[in-house]
Amino acid sequence: MEERDGEEGGGGKVRSLIEKATNSISPEVDPRLLKAIKFLVRSSDSELRVAYETLMHSMKTNHSQVRYLSLLIIDELFMRSKLFRTLLVVNLDQLLSLSVGFRRNLPLPAPPAIASTLRLKAIEFLEKWNASFGFHYRQLRLGVDYLKNTLRLQFPNIQANATRIQQERRERELRTREILLNKFEMLKENFDSIKSEIQLTVDEIGECLDIVRTKEENMPLDPIDDEGFEEFRSSELQQLRLDSLKEAEKVHENSDNKVVFDTLRELYKLLVSKHLVAVHEWVSVLVRVEVTDHRFRDSALKEFIDIRNHIRSIQRKCEESGCALPKIKDDDEEDIWEEGKIEPFEKGSSSTPNKDARVLSGKSTSNKVKNEAPESSNKSKIKLTRTSEEGVNDSGSLKDKLKAEAPVLNWGSFLDNWGSNRDVLANQRGLELEGHWGRVDYDAVIPAKKIAELNVHTTVYKEERNEIQPCRAPLSKGGLCQRRDLKICPFHGPIIPRDDEGKPANVNPTLGDNVLDLGTDLVEELARKAVKNVRERDKEEARKREIDKQAMKRAKLAKVREHNEAVLRDAAVASTSRSMVVGDLDATSDAPPMSKSKKQTLASMLRNKVTAKDRLAQRLLNTRARDATTRQLTVGEDENYREAFPNQW
Amino acid sequence: MSMWKKIGDRETGRLCTNRFANYVRSSRVSSLSLSNYKDIVSAHRGSVNSLQVDLTEGRYLLSGASDASAAVYDIQQATDFEGSGLVAKHRPLFVVDKRHEHGHKYAVSSAIWYPIDTGVFITGSYDHFINVWDTNTTQVAVNFKMPGKVYRTAMSSLSMSHMLIAAGTEDVQVRLCDIASGAFAHTLSGHRDGVMTVEWSTSSEWVLMTGGCDGAIRFWDIRRAGCYRVLDQSQSQLGRRPPLLQRATVNKASTSKSSSAGQSSSMKTRTPQRKIANGNVSKQFPISRLPAQAKGSMRQRLHPGLLSSQDRATAHYGAVTGLKVTEDGMYLLSAGSDSRLRLWDVESGFNTLVNFETVRLQTSKMIQLATTQDSSLVFVPCMTAVKAFDVWSGKTSLIFRGHYENVNCCWFSSQDQELYTGGNDRQILVWSPSKSFVEEGKDTRKGQVHSVDEDNWSD
Repeated sequence: MEERDGEEGGGGKVRSLIEKATNSISPEVDPRLLKAIKFLVRSSDSELRVAYETLMHSMKTNHSQVRYLSLLIIDELFMRSKLFRTLLVVNLDQLLSLSVGFRRNLPLPAPPAIASTLRLKAIEFLEKWNASFGFHYRQLRLGVDYLKNTLRLQFPNIQANATRIQQERRERELRTREILLNKFEMLKENFDSIKSEIQLTVDEIGECLDIVRTKEENMPLDPIDDEGFEEFRSSELQQLRLDSLKEAEKVHENSDNKVVFDTLRELYKLLVSKHLVAVHEWVSVLVRVEVTDHRFRDSALKEFIDIRNHIRSIQRKCEESGCALPKIKDDDEEDIWEEGKIEPFEKGSSSTPNKDARVLSGKSTSNKVKNEAPESSNKSKIKLTRTSEEGVNDSGSLKDKLKAEAPVLNWGSFLDNWGSNRDVLANQRGLELEGHWGRVDYDAVIPAKKIAELNVHTTVYKEERNEIQPCRAPLSKGGLCQRRDLKICPFHGPIIPRDDEGKPANVNPTLGDNVLDLGTDLVEELARKAVKNVRERDKEEARKREIDKQAMKRAKLAKVREHNEAVLRDAAVASTSRSMVVGDLDATSDAPPMSKSKKQTLASMLRNKVTAKDRLAQRLLNTRARDATTRQLTVGEDENYREAFPNQW
Repeated sequence: MSMWKKIGDRETGRLCTNRFANYVRSSRVSSLSLSNYKDIVSAHRGSVNSLQVDLTEGRYLLSGASDASAAVYDIQQATDFEGSGLVAKHRPLFVVDKRHEHGHKYAVSSAIWYPIDTGVFITGSYDHFINVWDTNTTQVAVNFKMPGKVYRTAMSSLSMSHMLIAAGTEDVQVRLCDIASGAFAHTLSGHRDGVMTVEWSTSSEWVLMTGGCDGAIRFWDIRRAGCYRVLDQSQSQLGRRPPLLQRATVNKASTSKSSSAGQSSSMKTRTPQRKIANGNVSKQFPISRLPAQAKGSMRQRLHPGLLSSQDRATAHYGAVTGLKVTEDGMYLLSAGSDSRLRLWDVESGFNTLVNFETVRLQTSKMIQLATTQDSSLVFVPCMTAVKAFDVWSGKTSLIFRGHYENVNCCWFSSQDQELYTGGNDRQILVWSPSKSFVEEGKDTRKGQVHSVDEDNWSD
């Protein structure tokens, strides 16, 4: 460094700054130094040339960290200065071989961890440089091409990825727009038919509702009316009666109007699950589609919104009309399962009128079904069949008991013929079986026994996890012991139920027992207990004190040992291979030569872990031997070090 | 600035036209650097072994590569542009490779143009074949089966009376293939190992020079049997042969020690061959300018035992990997696997002892050298770089670094003063004079793109 300074007086400052910046163990270049370098380099071209030379020189250092930091500075300057770029690209292959290490005879130096980050960073930088300046520098293109196509190194491909994602998004948008447009065109064609279809359903529902209402008014009100007129006259009773009438309105369904109700239900389902969804869809299509023909779009949108509102009102009316309506989920995804859910319910609800109009119970079951329906579809079927049975059966207590005991089965196709004991025709599945493999026996039968055998299924025993209770013994530092052991806590003995403060909870019960047993000795017992408690506490305190004392002693010992070790280390500094470098560095950087704290240095990154041998040597070296070896080793190591790290010297 | 002055001088006649042209050429050559605006998009998937720009138009670059492919590029007209016209891409006009029904099976080691026009080109390959291609139909017109791998093929650029392809192969014999008849016209035996490189003289259409793996460089006159000269690295003359006029005076006075010594030893070297050759040879050697009476006197003093020792002379330790005759046909440059570059005086056959500062040359492969038109610079592939040496002093004048692997071949196009290099990294790089006064006009249209490549100090 001194010679070079002599050669070129001007660039000394840049050089020293760069050397300072690269001689660090941090993963980033010190921003202040970097700023200073940039400021200096910006001022003149000659400074920039010096900086370039210094950086290339430090790239040749046999230490990945130095190379890494140099590369970071190079990147900073490369992105900024044209002159620097023109200087750098001439020797780009050299820079790449030093930073990527693609030449087999020139691998990256230690430490390996930083070497790999250096390689990644170098490739990333190269890509970045190529992206921004590739057109101006053939060398950049060549380098990228060589690394990418000849050596097949993995490039991060940041730009390409970004553009690809952009492209994909654009394509997706384009496709959705096209689909929307198609839908829109379809809607344009079919608008009237869609509208008329919905209108038809709505009209039918209206008719059904009318029928139901008229029937209600005609038929069931008559007897009540008669009785009411005769017996109840007061206003309160009138009110009551009206309420009950209203109540009655909702639930009237019997064998006479069953057909109407069924139709109503059917239509309702159609309306909600099909038309309403369709209308929503069309509305969203109309909102999203981009067309020139705004007039049709707006009018259609308006109409659809009207239709939607109308359907909503009809829906509300239906619900108010009180016929037990199926709950229809709006999700289209679960279309397949809807059938499965609704079917057993309808069985249940249709069974209610048969049981002498147990309306309330029927209602409750349907509610139950409604609640349970969204449950996991796996179990729904079994549970549903159960609930329907519940609805049928009055004496639920026995059934409940049995049910509580009964195992829960996972859902499966075997449930379709649960409990059936029939033979099954093997070759009559609706498949046209050609006799490729010989004659087909259409009468082949699988016997019921075989079926049962085939249906045998296994269940895996699953252990019930019950929580292991924490120990909850009070701790000396406050709080409760949170260890979870099955029976015995290694610190606090057997685990027993304890209260919030950690006192054993079963002391009182035993006390209580004692009280029960020896009621007369109560006072005595209490006194004994108190004495025992006091003693225990005393003991505890004594033990605590002892522990404290021990801890203090240990701390003191540790301090002494530390001091001893420090003294030993000082004594052995610059005499072992390991501490050598530290001393050396300190000496060169004008720091106090025997600094106790081991400063982390570049050399320390290269150094291996302290071996047992090192430690032994450290202990064994006495002062005399130390002095002798110090002298001897310093010379040799000094030479080595200077060779290895010329820029740090 | 000085350029305008020179132009003015040329106009007023103070500077003769030829010298002005030479001045422009040399100034352009001295500023050769990797061209950013001319990209040859290499079609090859293997190392590029051979490059040649056609001699008639100076427009089509022929390349042969290790993946058994040969391609032709138009180096004057770009196929497409990139970076808004900043980078001109030269894609191959056509490629012949393994998929071609008559294509080569193994690496193409040599691809050369027919010297008279661009309608024919010749490729030699490691699959023992030399193919003569019709450029326009890209079909094989003739092919020659050689006894071994073909290392190098050459055609004389001067020839008016023959159409012979000289082929150096693994075999010890050099064969001359006659395109007109489709047969071997000659078989030249003399080398003791494969022949790495062959080169026709640029002063006589009959003289062929071959360099073998045995380290010998032999000169052949194809009109007669046997080789007439073997270059010997120990036979040397100091420095450049004096120009013709001075030479005459020197001959008279015979004061120059070195030249007289050289001449005397040259007599010795040549006489053995004379003996094998038939009597009246002196007129048939166009390159021989030595006085006839001197030859005659030397022949008398010839020792018969010299013959075999002379025949065993070597030009390099190891194989001769490259040969190049200067444009004027007076000097021969040879590269050897001993990492030496030697300059030989063709007429005397002496090593001129120019010390070229080569560091290392590729040893295992044939390398293709190139010289400038005025023979002032020689371009030599030195491992991953190409170096330009001053022919007379041996000093390195330019170093071209751009290839990431070894460079095999280079070709200097004297028409545009551009250098083309091909290497193991599959690239063909163009080295062109940095844009100067000539291309200022072009610069203006690229102005707005160039603005991107500027200083950008954020702080």
